[in-house]
Amino acid sequence: MSSPVKFKNHVKVSERHGASEWLSERVLLLGLMPLGLWVLSTIHTLAGAGYGAVAAWFANTLNAVLAGLTLVVFCGFASLAWKVILEDYVPQAGARRALVLLVNLICLVLAAAGVFFITRMALGSAPLPAGFGA
Amino acid sequence: MTQPNPTRRGAPVDPTGRYVIQPNGHVTPMSPFMEIWRWHVTMAASILFRATIIAASVGAVIMVGWLGALAFGPEHYACFLSLAGSPLGLLVGFGLTVVVLSFVLNGGRHLINDTGHGLTLKAATLMANIAVWAPVPLAVLFWVVLFASGRVAL
Repeated sequence: MSSPVKFKNHVKVSERHGASEWLSERVLLLGLMPLGLWVLSTIHTLAGAGYGAVAAWFANTLNAVLAGLTLVVFCGFASLAWKVILEDYVPQAGARRALVLLVNLICLVLAAAGVFFITRMALGSAPLPAGFGA
Repeated sequence: MTQPNPTRRGAPVDPTGRYVIQPNGHVTPMSPFMEIWRWHVTMAASILFRATIIAASVGAVIMVGWLGALAFGPEHYACFLSLAGSPLGLLVGFGLTVVVLSFVLNGGRHLINDTGHGLTLKAATLMANIAVWAPVPLAVLFWVVLFASGRVAL
């Protein structure tokens, strides 16, 4: 749990993991700045595009990697940001813990499902449910 | 109202009722309550960023739905396209571009303020105004380009 009290520039350093969560939230947000602009340019490229054009877009490895990166970084940021929001607005400790757990679970499932779909598109796999009993 | 009359320790007689005598005898102003804060755009930018994060999470669910429709093949993707191309779908799409622009601008403001920069009244107000208002005209411009280039049609 708590580590010995430490000071940096006469300011007490967090005894638990609050400081590292604060810092990771900022680092992930910094990463999302260029990725957000890339998302806008991607919306411009793919708006109204047919299946063939989108499949060709995903065949480019850089596009697939950036799409996966955006999703994973956003889900990481969202889980930390939702935790801050829930900590501010949900006073009951039990409900707060349950909601934080639920949000983390949703973020994890979203990131995993998204990366799975992106990988299949990038590899040009046959449409699902191919490989799953069909 | 039975406000204590603060006359101890040389404090002025208080007709406004904004001062209280603490148990130790000190005369202090009452705590500022929510309703006497003057509205400022920095507050709007701050709370809007939280709203933006929640809206962006919904956007992420929609984007994973788009990826799923793609992975399930052309028929499912055609279904997604017809939904996204409907008037309601286009409205949601417009909202999502507002959210992405708001996320970038407001997130940028947050990051600059987090490093201790732009915290003078003038700079903070300017950045908050940009973060709050700029996403809407920028998104309108973005969609004008999309419609003008024929990528999207109603």
